[in-house]
This record gives sequence, C-alpha cells and structure tokens, in this order.
Amino acid sequence: MRNIGHDQQKQRSFWQRIHIDVPLLLGILALMILGLFVVYSAGGQESAIVYRQITRLGIALLVMFAVAQIPPLSYQKWAVPVFVLGLLLLIAVLLFGHIGKGAQRWLDLGFMKFQPSEIMKLIVPIMIAWYVSQYDLPAKISTITIAFILVLLPTLLIAKQPDLGTSLLIASSGVFVIFLAGASWKLIVTCIGLASAFAPVLWMFLMKPYQKQRVLTFLDPEQDPLGSGYHIIQSKIAIGSGGLHGKGWLQGTQSQLEFLPERHTDFIFAVFSEEFGFVGVAVLLSVYLIIVMRGLWIAVHAEHAFTKLLAGSITLTFFVYVFVNIGMVSGLLPVVGVPLPLVSYGGTSMVTLLAGFGMLMAISTHKRFIA
Amino acid sequence: MSKLVKKQIDKQQISVAWRFYVVVGLIVLVYAGLLARSAYIQIIEPDMLKKQGDMRSLRTAAHTVQRGSIVDRNGRELAISVPVETVWADPKIIMENNALAMKEHWQALADVLGRNVNKLTSRIVKNPSKRFVYVERKVSPAMAKYIKELKIPGIHLRKESKRFYPSGEISAHVVGFTNVDDKGIEGVERVYDQLLTGTDGEKQYRKDAKGRKIEILSEQASTQPKDIVLSIDQRIQAIAYKELKGAVKAFKATSGSVVVTNAHTGEILALVNSPSYNPNNRRNTAIHRFRNRAITDFYEPGSTLKPLTAITALEFGSVKADSIIDTSPGWMRLGGRRVSDPINRGKLSITDILVNSSNMGTTKLALSVPKEFLLNKFFDAGFGEETGVGLVGESSGIMHDRQRWSKFELATLSWGHGVAATPLQLARFYSTLANGGIKKPLTIIKKDTLDTIPLRDVRIFSEQSSEQVVGMLENVVNEHTPNAKVEGYRVGGKTGTAIKAFAGGYGNEYVGLFAGIAPISNPEIVVVVVINEPGGDLYHGGEVAAPVFSRVMKGALRVLNIAPDAKRVADVRPVVSEEQPTMKVKQEQADA
Repeated sequence: MRNIGHDQQKQRSFWQRIHIDVPLLLGILALMILGLFVVYSAGGQESAIVYRQITRLGIALLVMFAVAQIPPLSYQKWAVPVFVLGLLLLIAVLLFGHIGKGAQRWLDLGFMKFQPSEIMKLIVPIMIAWYVSQYDLPAKISTITIAFILVLLPTLLIAKQPDLGTSLLIASSGVFVIFLAGASWKLIVTCIGLASAFAPVLWMFLMKPYQKQRVLTFLDPEQDPLGSGYHIIQSKIAIGSGGLHGKGWLQGTQSQLEFLPERHTDFIFAVFSEEFGFVGVAVLLSVYLIIVMRGLWIAVHAEHAFTKLLAGSITLTFFVYVFVNIGMVSGLLPVVGVPLPLVSYGGTSMVTLLAGFGMLMAISTHKRFIA
Repeated sequence: MSKLVKKQIDKQQISVAWRFYVVVGLIVLVYAGLLARSAYIQIIEPDMLKKQGDMRSLRTAAHTVQRGSIVDRNGRELAISVPVETVWADPKIIMENNALAMKEHWQALADVLGRNVNKLTSRIVKNPSKRFVYVERKVSPAMAKYIKELKIPGIHLRKESKRFYPSGEISAHVVGFTNVDDKGIEGVERVYDQLLTGTDGEKQYRKDAKGRKIEILSEQASTQPKDIVLSIDQRIQAIAYKELKGAVKAFKATSGSVVVTNAHTGEILALVNSPSYNPNNRRNTAIHRFRNRAITDFYEPGSTLKPLTAITALEFGSVKADSIIDTSPGWMRLGGRRVSDPINRGKLSITDILVNSSNMGTTKLALSVPKEFLLNKFFDAGFGEETGVGLVGESSGIMHDRQRWSKFELATLSWGHGVAATPLQLARFYSTLANGGIKKPLTIIKKDTLDTIPLRDVRIFSEQSSEQVVGMLENVVNEHTPNAKVEGYRVGGKTGTAIKAFAGGYGNEYVGLFAGIAPISNPEIVVVVVINEPGGDLYHGGEVAAPVFSRVMKGALRVLNIAPDAKRVADVRPVVSEEQPTMKVKQEQADA
C-alpha cells in the first residue's frame, strides 16, 4: 500500500500523507459493515434503513477524513472559545430547546435540529487536555481541581436535560484526561470516596424518577417484567437464546418477532448476540479491543502532552461507550441510552464518534519526523 | 527540535507511561468481564432463556371436528351430532359494563333458561375477575337466538354439538352415549370413541410480539371423524325390543335380553335389553337400566346347552345320529347324587333326548365321551371366553377350568348347569351350529364384503354333526315347542329353564331361555331370548321365551327377505304330527 518513489526524502507513505491510520480505519470499517448486516436484520429487513445508514456512515467517514487533515496542535487555539460557545448552547437548549422523547436535547436551527451535547463530547476532552497541558506533568492539585470544575459544568447541564448517557460519557472523557495527566492515587481514591458519598445526594435530589426506576429495574428486572423490566428481560432472553453458535443471520426470534425493543439502536447487541451467538460476540469484542488498543498505541506515541492526553481520552471514552452499551444490554449495568458505537443505527452520535477518530488519526499522522 | 524539548517529552512519557499500562490492563479486564458475562448468558444459562424465548413466541392451536355418526347396516342414523349453542358469561366484562343493572334482561335470560335469576347472577358476582363461566350448555338454536337478542354485555354463545339418538331406548345399550363434553362413555360411543371423534388437528406456530402468526413449525392434520356402521339392523332391533319389552311386562320379569345374529358372518343384527333407557334424556334414570345385560349378565343356560352335549357325543363317535339310548329307569346315582327325569322315558333316540330334554339321556351321552373331550368342546364352543364383539363391560361368563370334575358335575354340565353364559355367548354357540360347525367371532360392526377373510374362524364341529343336530332342533320345535314355530319357515331351537343360583345355592327365581335357528334348509338367523326372573305363573323357557323367539325370528326373516322354506315341511307336517302321537305312545309305554 505504500506509495514508493515520489517522496523518498520524507519517507512518508501514501496513507500518512492523507492522514489516515490504516489499522484504525480497518477496525472501523469492519464494525460498520458488520453493523449494516445487523441493522438490516434488526430493522425488519428493510433495505431503506440500510441505505439511510450507509449515507450516514459515508457522511461520518467524510467528517473523519476532514478532521484528520487538521493538525492537532491547532485545536489548542480554539479550545477556550469553542468550549464557552458549547456551554452557552447547552444553556440555550435548557431555555429554548426542542422537546423530543421526554427530554430537551435538541436546538432547532430552522434548517436542522442540532444536539449541542454531542459536540461537547469532543470539546470537553480538548478543553481539559489543553488546560492541563499548560502546566508541567504530573498536574498539581490546583490544576486538577479547576479541571474538575471544567468537566462538571457541561456534565451537569447535560444531566439536567435529562440525558444521563451523554453526561456520563462527557464526564468520563474529562476525567480520563485528568487521570492520564497524573492525578495521584491518593487523589483518585479520594475522588472515588467523594463520588460514593455523592451518590445518595444524586439519588435523592438530582435523579429523575424514571432514572431511579432504571436503577431499581437494573437491580431486579423481574419486579416489573411488563413495564420497566421488559427491555432487559427480553434482551437477556435474546442474547441467551443465541447460544454458542447463534440462530443465524435473520433467524433471531426475539428480534425478528419484535419482542425486543429498540432493537436496531441501543439494543442492537442483543440482536447480534441472538443471531451470531457467543462466537460472534467474541469476534465483535475483539474488534473493539483492537480499535481501543490502537488508540492507546497512538496516545503513547503522540509527540505532545496535549495530543497524548487527547488521544487517550478519546480512546477511553470510546471504550466506555462499548462497555456501557454491552453492559446495559446484557444486564450488568442499568439501562442508559447509549448506542453501540459504529454498529447501532443512528446519526449524530456516529458523526461525533468518527470526528473523534479523525482526531486520533490526525494525532497519529501529523508528526514532525525526527531524523 | 532541541535536545531540551526531547528530554522533556521523554520525562513526560516516563511519568505517564505506567498509567497507560494500568489503563490497558483495566480495559482487557473489562473486556474479559463482558465476554464472561456473554458466555454466562449464552452458554451456561441459555436453556432457560431459550425456553423463555420459545414461551414468548411458540403457540399451539388445536381445531376440533364434529363427532361422527353411528348408523345401522342400512344407513339409518342411530346417533348423530346436531349443532347447538352454549351460553357462557365473561364476568369481568359484565362487571366492567355494569351489565347486572339490566335487571329485566337478566330476568328474561333466567326465564328462558328456566333458572332462578338470583342464582344465575350470583355466580357472576362471586367470580368478578374470571373470564369464563358456563351459564347453560347446549341450548336449542331458538333459545340461542333469543339470548343473543337480549344483548347483555359479557354474555356470549359458543357453537357446540349435541348428541342425539333417534332410535331412543331401542338401541340405547348398543349405541351407548357421550357425556356433556362429547366423549363416549358407554357402548359403541365409547369403544369407537377415537374413530368417531377423529383426532384433533394440531398446529404449532411462532407468533410475534403483536400476536401475528409468523411461521408454522409443525402441523398435524386432523383425521376426519368416521361414521361407524353397525351390523345392527334397526328394523330387527325394533321388533326385538318391542317383543321383549312386551314379554318382560307380561311375564312380570325383572329383565330380558334378545340377541339376533347372522350365523354366516357373526354379525349381530339385534341386541336389545329390557328395561332400557332414553339416551336423549338420562336424568333420573336408575343406574341398572344402563346395563347392557346381553353382554354383562350371565345365566346358567340350562337345557339350551343339551345340543352341545349331543354334538360332542356325535363328534367323538360314541353314538351315531340314529343311536338309541336307554334311559330307564329314569334315574341314576352318580357319586351319591341323583340324576333323574320326571318320568322313566325308556329307550330314546338322540332327537328324543333333545325333544324331551331328558337329563338322563344327556348324562349318558356326556359320560360316553372322555372327560377332557367333553370339557374341551365346551371351551371350544366359546363358554368362558369373550365373543369378540369388543363392547365395554362384556363378561366371559363362568366355565371352570379345573382338573377335578366328578361324574355328577359332568352330568350337570351336560344339561347346562355349573356353567354360566351371557346371552351373547349362547348366541355364538348356536351361530356356530347354524354355520356348519365353524366358529366366528361376533361383531357389532357391519362386515365389508372384502373383510370376510376367515382369519379368526375355527372349525370346532364337523359339518355333518352340525347339520344333524340342527335337524334335531327342528324336531324339538315341531314336537315340543309349538310356541317357537314361525309360519312358513322351518325353525329349530331349544328351550331352557334354569333355577337362578345365588351365593351358596339355588333360590326360587327362574330364567327362561330359548335359542333357535332358522331357516333350517339353509340356517342363517340365530335368535336367543332370555327372560330373567319371570314373576308370574309361567316361567318355562318354552312358555316365556319361545313366543318372543317366534315373533322376533318371524320379523327378522321377513325383514331380511329370506325365502320361506317350509313348503316341503308343510308336506311333511302330517308325518311330524304323526310322530307326536307315537311319542305319546312311547311315553305311555314307558309310563306303563
């Protein structure tokens, strides 16, 4: 694949010149193609859904490609203004947002609906990474404290919408930066302690009744098998009935017969598991693991503190995505509205996700080569 | 790039590197956890979850079919299913609609059903959350229409079928009946229940969350219910029942049975008992009326078995058809017990023995053959075994299978005591005689012409002996039992009168029997009549059973359009009537 000959002096491959990280791209494409098959099966075998998904994937890949062209260090210039803009947009959502599915998440810009919380998924790690990398690493307590406040602001605004899944992802993306920037173990333990102390407060004052119900349902899905426990029971049955080898593509009864809710979006893992069995699940998890490992490899080999932190955060957030979704669908975690990245049917989150991968690729390819 | 910057980067890398290792380790751990979770659900727990999945999507549907009819050999309906409607209530809907407030409607419903309105509604009030309660099963279409028009919310109608027996009490015992759920519980209805109902079709299919059928997994086609064609000829059955009922009443008998068979095929043409019952309304019917006495009750056949002793002696060869047996002095001692005729009848031919029903003569015939031979012939003749008709509750009678038989016991056996048989078993023995000695299983089902492969047929008497004994039976009727005669036909038969046995001995009750065959020129029909415990002055088989025999036989011969064969007999009749005086002379001589 290497383009040998023209640019021998610079020793750069064709892929590096177009700023594409091949292992990462292969992993992403593999998941996307797999996802198309599952979406077709879960979406009632309608080709229209698949075409729409292909369009979205195409747009998302273009965005990734475009983002990859931007030198990563240039993000730093924009970090503060964009972060402030993001916060303002979140406040705007709370004030004038469009209500859909019981939550206020969208801003109607007239020509399109727009979800500012999605953008924040990228802005928060950039902002925190920029802020922390201003100082020597490992970061001091004061730096970390301010960083924490910077994470908390958007997190709370999004949690208020309410959108627990996204706020969780954004919080973790920020926290990962802080962790990688060198928060001491003492601090980490203190934070975990504080968090667990904060949990009852969260439960009593901040969580909405439906969110509390989700947690209760998670603890015991059978208490309301026809109501809030329905999702998780049906999903476990779907996964379990797949067995070792699965029922085969398009053969899943739980999913094909519409027992499984949200089967082409958040619960697509259950459909996949039913039709491809444990073998399929092992393969799927391996592909995710490869992507995450490649992301971490990019982070380790990044040239600057900022890019290193950013790459680490993006990768770990992606990992949290996968973990939360599969954990939720298989009954390990409470139900949180997080899609299975790169596989689930859906638009906005796919674009942000691939923009993130674009950044990873930029970090991996925009290097000054030291002879 | 300056050395300083590079060094700084190195330092940073070192200080942060271990965190990456921790992160990598954690990630791998979490993935392992997810994989383990998936393995737990998919490999360790899947059976339960698979079952749960199937429970959600697999359904089985059964569709029932209407019960087949039972018809006689000519296609007359003996049992048919008619569509009726069943009224049921959905208490939940009734409560939800507050339908109980429609007082007048409920009163109308109760009135049409002939029920108390409070009792009717209380069942609904007591089970307010139930979804199904029977109100009244199997109402007529007219009633159903009326109830439908009442339009009470939650009161529904369901199509069912009701069994109807057009022949009523005449064929009640043979046909039997079904219970309210259309399951046969007596008679042919029970024995052939499976054929009559067919098997319900079953369909296993997968449905989706909205209850739509997705795929059919397995389908078991229903086997259509079959109509059962009985060997019974309803015309003969009706005659037999009428005559029997009349006789039972006239002779104040406890009960009675008549069996009519076709000797050539073993088909039962009529099987009636009195008292009978109305199968269409079995309420308050005494339980004993349900008994099919012709197959369940056994009696000592008495003298009706004497022809069996006679043919046994002929078969063994100890006597010939024209042998003369000396029965003087009219009595004998066997092991301290006395065997006797009412009078000393002197020298008798075998025919005379049967005509006079001589115990002495029969005893001598019985003792002229080895014990085993005699007993074997009794077993061969079908005593102590089922007739093959296959009806529920059939008794095999009593025929002791023991080693020790005293001479006296053999003697009593030879005239039909110490053995007990159902009317059906007796009919089978006479059918065998009439059929030239070939024993056939009896059947209640009409035989197809194709179905006559004589697999289960056994020759137990020679044709010659059978014909000889049948001929003797004709003489018995002609000379001794004028009550049994049928005008225009040559008829043979034998009376029997047995004292009924009770535990430990004999009482004062009698059983009057008559078993006979016609026409003698080509024996075809066998009729057995049993009059149990006649209460009047008459109790002899020749008095109570023979007249019934005569009329039933006459009816059967005419119904079956069998040509009269008595023309020649009519010519001979003077000879026969001449014989009687000679008999009398003989008797007088003997008396003297």
